[in-house]
Order: sequence, then C-alpha cells, then structure tokens
Amino acid sequence: MDPIATAVLASWTLDWGSLCLLLTIAVLYFRGWLHLHAELPHKYTTGRLASFGGGLFAIVLALDSPIDALGALLLQAHMIQHLLLTMVAAPLLLLGQPVLPLLRGLPRWLFKDALGPFLSCRELKQLGRAIVHPVVTSFAWSAAIVVWHFPRLYDLALRSPAWHQAEHACFFWSAMLFWWPVVDVWPSTPIWPRGAMIPYLLFAGMVNMGLSAVLSFSNHVLYSSYALAPRLWGISALEDQAAAGGIMWVPGSIAMLIPAAILGIQALETRRAHPLKPVLRVLTPHRPRQWDLLRIPIIGPVLQYRYFRRCIQTAMLLLAVIVAIDGFFGPQVAPMNLAGVLPWTHWRGLVVVALLLAGNLFCMACPFTLPRDLARKFVTPGYRWPSRLRSKWIAAGLLATYLWAYEAFSLWDSPSATAWIILGYFVAALAVDTVFKGASFCKYVCPIGQFHFVHALVSPLQVKVREPAICGACTTHDCIRGNVHQRGCELQLFQPRKAGNFDCTFCLDCVQACPQNNVGILRTAPGRSLLEDHHSSGIGRLSRRPDVAAIVLILVFGAFLNAAGMTEPVMMWMHQWHARLHLSSIVPIATVMYVGGLLIIPAMVVAACGWISRLGVNASWKDLTCSFSLALVPVGFSMWLAHFSNHLIAGWSTVIPVVEKFISRASSVNYLQARVPNWIPSLELCFLDLGLLLTLYTIWHVARRLSTGDGVALAAMSPWAVLAGALYSAGIWIVFQPMQMRGMMIH
Amino acid sequence: MILAQAAAWADGGTVQLRQEAGDLVITVFTSPGPLTVGPVDISVLLQNRDGLQPVLDAKVSLVLRAEGSGIELQAQPTREQARNKLLYAAPVTFSKPGKWKMAFVVIRNHEETDGVGALEVAAAPGKAVSYAGYIAFPPVMVGLFMVRELLIRRRSQRGE
Repeated sequence: MDPIATAVLASWTLDWGSLCLLLTIAVLYFRGWLHLHAELPHKYTTGRLASFGGGLFAIVLALDSPIDALGALLLQAHMIQHLLLTMVAAPLLLLGQPVLPLLRGLPRWLFKDALGPFLSCRELKQLGRAIVHPVVTSFAWSAAIVVWHFPRLYDLALRSPAWHQAEHACFFWSAMLFWWPVVDVWPSTPIWPRGAMIPYLLFAGMVNMGLSAVLSFSNHVLYSSYALAPRLWGISALEDQAAAGGIMWVPGSIAMLIPAAILGIQALETRRAHPLKPVLRVLTPHRPRQWDLLRIPIIGPVLQYRYFRRCIQTAMLLLAVIVAIDGFFGPQVAPMNLAGVLPWTHWRGLVVVALLLAGNLFCMACPFTLPRDLARKFVTPGYRWPSRLRSKWIAAGLLATYLWAYEAFSLWDSPSATAWIILGYFVAALAVDTVFKGASFCKYVCPIGQFHFVHALVSPLQVKVREPAICGACTTHDCIRGNVHQRGCELQLFQPRKAGNFDCTFCLDCVQACPQNNVGILRTAPGRSLLEDHHSSGIGRLSRRPDVAAIVLILVFGAFLNAAGMTEPVMMWMHQWHARLHLSSIVPIATVMYVGGLLIIPAMVVAACGWISRLGVNASWKDLTCSFSLALVPVGFSMWLAHFSNHLIAGWSTVIPVVEKFISRASSVNYLQARVPNWIPSLELCFLDLGLLLTLYTIWHVARRLSTGDGVALAAMSPWAVLAGALYSAGIWIVFQPMQMRGMMIH
Repeated sequence: MILAQAAAWADGGTVQLRQEAGDLVITVFTSPGPLTVGPVDISVLLQNRDGLQPVLDAKVSLVLRAEGSGIELQAQPTREQARNKLLYAAPVTFSKPGKWKMAFVVIRNHEETDGVGALEVAAAPGKAVSYAGYIAFPPVMVGLFMVRELLIRRRSQRGE
C-alpha cells in the first residue's frame, strides 16, 4: 500500500478518557436494554441496540479516527467529522430509544434517590417539553450550524482546543435536539403531527443547502486557518473549501431527504401503528438479589477456601521478612532498598486503592498476626484485655506518634528504621496476643488497623449477613462463639448485629463458622454506615465514642499534614526555621508542627464547631462533636488516596531494579526514574471532589438526624461544612504544589 | 460525551512557521493554542516542494532556546509520537514565557536541511484556572442537591 495512505490510516488516537465514558454509557444502555427487552421485546428490539451501538461507534469514528487527525489540515475532513456527529451519530443514538434503557441501567439509588425528584418535577417536564418543541429544535440546530460557520468563530475553534470542543458539543447536542421530534423519542409524546416533520426536514435541508452553497461557490478562502495550513497532495485551499461544501450539500441533503421520504410513505399508509405509551413499571426497577463477592465464580470459592487466609498471610510474612532483611543489611539509600520502596510507595498506595475498590484487604492478609496464631498453639492466653483499656485511646496515641515520627525522623528515608518498625510490629502483636485473649492487638493497639477500620467505612464491600431471617432462627451463634472446627469472631462482632466495616478485619472467620452459610461479602453504598449510625455489636454507636472521634480527627488532619509535609513550601518553611533557630535537628520543628496540626488545632477547631452547632440543636456537645467528626472521614480519606496514589502511579516501576539488586546483589543496576504523568493532578482533584461531596452529604444527614427541622439542620451543619471546605481547599493547595517524591529516584 | 474528549487534542494546531528549504517545504505547528508555558506538542510537516507530497522518511531534531537565559530544550519529533502520522511530533515543556528561538535540522537521504524560527510563549494560566472544572464540580453538585431537596420538600407539602 502507498506509504502515505498507510500513514493516514494509522492516524488513530484512542483517547482513553472519552473511550471509558462511551463504554460506561454503552454498559448502562445495555444493562437497561436487557431489562426492557425482557419486558417489552417488540419495543426494545435488537435493532435498537444495534442502532445505539452504531451511534457510539460513529462518535468514536468522528473523534478518534484519521478523520479528526486530517481535520486540522483539510476542511473536507473536518466537514466529514461534523456530518458524522450531526447526521449519523445523533439520529442513530436516538433511534436506540435511549432514555428508558439509560435510566434503567443506572444503579437503583442513583435512579431513585438522586434523579427521582428531578424526573418527577412538573416544571422540569414542561421545560423538557419546551426544549424538544420542533420550533425550538429547528432553530437551535440552524443557529448552531450557521453561527459556527462564521469565519471568526470557525478559526477560533481551529486555534483553540477548548473552543473546538465547544463547537463539537454545540453541533452534537443541537443535532440531538433536531432529530428528537423526527425520531419521536420515547417517552416524550409528539407535539406536531408526524406529517409536519416533512416540511421540518425540508426547511433544515434548505438551511444546510444555503450554507453549502456559500462554501462551494465562494471565490476566496473563508477560513484563514486553512489558508495558512500546508496544502496536502496539491489540493488548494479553495478547492478544499469547495469540496467541503459539496460534502455538506450532497450527503447532508440526503440525510434530510431519506427520513422525509420515510415519513411521507408512513403518512400515506392508512393503518399506522400507534406507539406504545410507556408504562410505569418499566421505570421501576425490581430489587435485585444483593451482589455478593463470595458468589462470584472462582473468586468466591477461592476466598472461602479454608486455608486461603493462611496462604496470603504466609506470602505477606515472607515479603515482610525479605523487606526487613534488606532494610537491616541492604544499602541504606531508600530508592535502592526494598524497605525504602515497597512499604512507602507500593504498600501504602495499594492499601488505599483496595479500601476504595473493595474493603479492608490488608487486615485480611496481615502478616503480623500469623506468628501469634502459631504461638497460640503452644501458649494459651490467660487474660482478658483490661476493661479500662477497652477503647481506642492507646491506638490513637500510637497513631499520632507514628505520624509525628514519620516526619521527624524521615522514616521513609531510613531502610533500617523501617525494618525495626516491621520487627517491632511482630514483637508487639506476639506479646499482646499471647497474654490477652481474642484479637486484642488488632482491636485496641494496632494503629495500622485503625487506619483501615476507619477508612473501610467508605469502602463498597462489607462482611454481612445475607438473610437476616435465617439468623433469627439461629441458636448456636457460631459466627461469634465459634465451633469445634472454626473459631468465631475474635473482635467480638456478632454478625446479625454488626453494622458497617468498623473493627472488621475481613478475616472471614464468621463466613467459615456459620453453619447456614449465611454470611457473605455484600455490596454496600460507600459511607452508608456513617449516615445510619446504627448500634453495632462489639462497638456500640460510633457517634457516642469520643475515642473513635479522636482517631478519625487524627487521621483526617494527619492526611493533610502528612501530604503538606512533602510539599516544597512547607519543607522550605521547616528548613528556614531550622536554620533561624540554629537547631541541630529538624525534630523540634516537626514536633511543633505535629503537636499543633494534629492535636491542638483540630481540638480547638472541632470544639468551636461543636459549640456553634449546639446553639440550635438539642443534643450534648459531646454527641454533636463525635457525630460530625465522623462525617469528615471521606474528605480525609480522599487526601490519603490522592497522596498515596500519586506515589504509587509515579513510582510503581521503581521496585523492579530494587528487586533485581536484592536478588543478584549486583552493584550496577540501572535505577529507573519515577515519572509523574501530567494527568495525576486531575485524578487527585477527582478524589478530593468526591471526598468533599460525600462528607457534605454525611454532614447534612447527621444534621437532619440531630435536628427537628431543615432550617435548624442547616445552621447546625454550617460550621462543619465550612471545616470540610477548608480541608478541601488545603487539599487543592497541596495538589498544586511541587511535591517531594520520597523514596524515589526523580529529577 | 462530546466534551469528554478534551484531552485528545494533539499535534497539528497553530501554524508557527512555514519555510522552503532545499527540496522541502517545512511547516511547524504547536498545540494547544495559544502557546503558553507548560507542556506543548510541537509537530512538523515535511513536504516535497514538487507536488507537496508529505515526506515520511526523514529524521527531525529541534533545539529551542529561551531568549535572554541559558535555558535550552532539545526534542526529536517522530511520526510515532504524532497523532496524525503524516507529521513528526514531540512533546516539550516550556519553562518560561517570552521569545524562544527555534532551530531545526531535517536529515533525509544523507542530506541535511536546517532552518530557524521563533516562538512567542505566553505566561501560563494559573493552576486554578487550568483545573477550574474540577474545582467548580463540588459547588455545582451542591447546587443540584439543594434543588433536589427543595423538590422533595415541595412534593411532600403537596402531599404527592
């Protein structure tokens, strides 16, 4: 084949962002179509599905194919692109009758709770009916194509990507409006008789023809961008313009005439099938059986395999031993040592991603509890954890200490310190759990565990009873008491009365123990347990636990402080004070920063917010403060997620040479430089946006739960909403700062 | 759907230089426009002077120097990096605003063709402006949520 033709045909650019969006739309449509096809097979036919798919494909063809690549150089290619969007994609999508399938394809809560009030609003229905009135749609389409073909605007679109997007959006959406009354999209009812669509189409055809004539017969080049563009294959700019006009004229007119002819034939038919009116039941999704990870083929049986947890714990234990060995005996340069790379770049990042997508998977694979389980075969713990210490205060203190030590002693930069922490963890877990019964270390001591317990409150999966009625008839309560084959829950969470993921290690002991096989890993709405505040077995109400609120506040403010500590302005500030005070180490500066930022400022701010909230609400200051503090979990988690995912994405490949070096002990390994993709800030901002919105939604729910009316609720939530906004703003500031990529080779 | 393809913009764009050198017609584009500090796509179209056929078998290199400072950027535009495979493209990151001198060398059939030009780089918009859509998203959603709450309240008052 001619190399130039090959080059043209190879000029595809698949933009993954828009492809993912189109794929999501396709999946939603298909999901909804499956339901509707089962209920109304004559209405939602395979042809509709094919038409919608064809419409999506036409968009991909217009925006990602060589047509788009050539559009910058040839007006005729650009014209084909616009025709694909307006004359092919838009009518094909509408022929798929997309409204009901897309609505039915949405998750139930989104369809019912979020969109329901809008869909049933009378004024919005009237507005929608006005927008799809043929006069409005005809005007919108004609105005869009005429106005955008003014030379000044067309050139602007060719020079600026943002305006180019705006131009395409105008063409596409005005075309969707234009074709709406022609296709007679369900469930809207026709405003004009079908026969009136023939002059409607002919009028649009005349507008199209007029514009085509201007392009075809103009004796000068209308668009300066094409006048300046290099000419391909000897085609002059004027010839290109005339060809573009011809393309607009002929295929554009055909696209109008074919439906006009079809409508004409339909009008001549004496018997015309009346379109079926939508019935309410197709809009009301049935409640499906709860999605359960343990019922997924392969994954479910693997997770339920009796020794599955032991296997992954053993793998993690081996990994921890290897990391500790390299930390003690390997090079004491973080990017060249497994203890400098794996825990700080990979493990932390994977943990937050797992919390976001699934749940507390780290505790499931925790290596620290494996040695103590082995030790318990020889030593039986004889004591119960002291009742006075049955709270999270020790863990809160350890968590704050860890966050301070991380900054003060640059733990990420010291492989040997990392190895000592790992060793210390094993010793502590062994010591506590060989003396005290149950999972005392996990529940009352482990700071890493608390990180997971708190953030698993926004995870989408939950270990939960499948059918509550079955538990009602249960008398043995194996899930908490255990049986001869399997121990029960060591964290004292009784499944029928368990709410949310707090204190749940995903050990699946309850799943193994339940004789009725009635415990699963079920899907839940992220943050739901923050909204409901049910009394939970082994925990009580989270909103009545100041120790839990303290942990939450340490984690929320710690997220922002920890990330800020890696930004250039904060590092410069610390070093300036270090030099100004002639200190021998950075520890005093980090101590002031963490005592202030992690303890004093949060305590003062939260106390003030609680006091202001109390003015209009009949609840104690303690209950108010604890309840609203919990609502800050999502915004704090979003900061951890933004921060750790940044390190994970930028430095995921840095582990390869370090492993090579550990295995071969070679000194001449090439260390990869971490690369920060330019889309990372967008991803981080997405996380922060979602975190803020979930926090605000939770604050609103908490306020309504504690207040008697909406006005009082608004007043009560205001200081907390301002606090959430301030934390979000701090997060935005952090994302925009240059960040030290700790533990990585980067320039 | 259509607005989601904003990130797809690459190569082609604004014509910055058009020059006839040797047997070639050389056109240099930059994208996105207007040219500002930050990541930019520079692409080069090479055409035979006779017939304006695109030339696909050359090797192109670019050197960009900021006027009044020692900052220098080097780039090797290739067709592999280009979206439009008739062009040679490379990503560069301008670190400061002002005038940048551009020198390019094209090697084809062991013959070297060179040329010079200049680019005017404007200051970058603030990061808050660049990411305005993300920052505006929460207030928009809060606004929609408030409308939703009002609709629910009104419906319950009507007893619907």
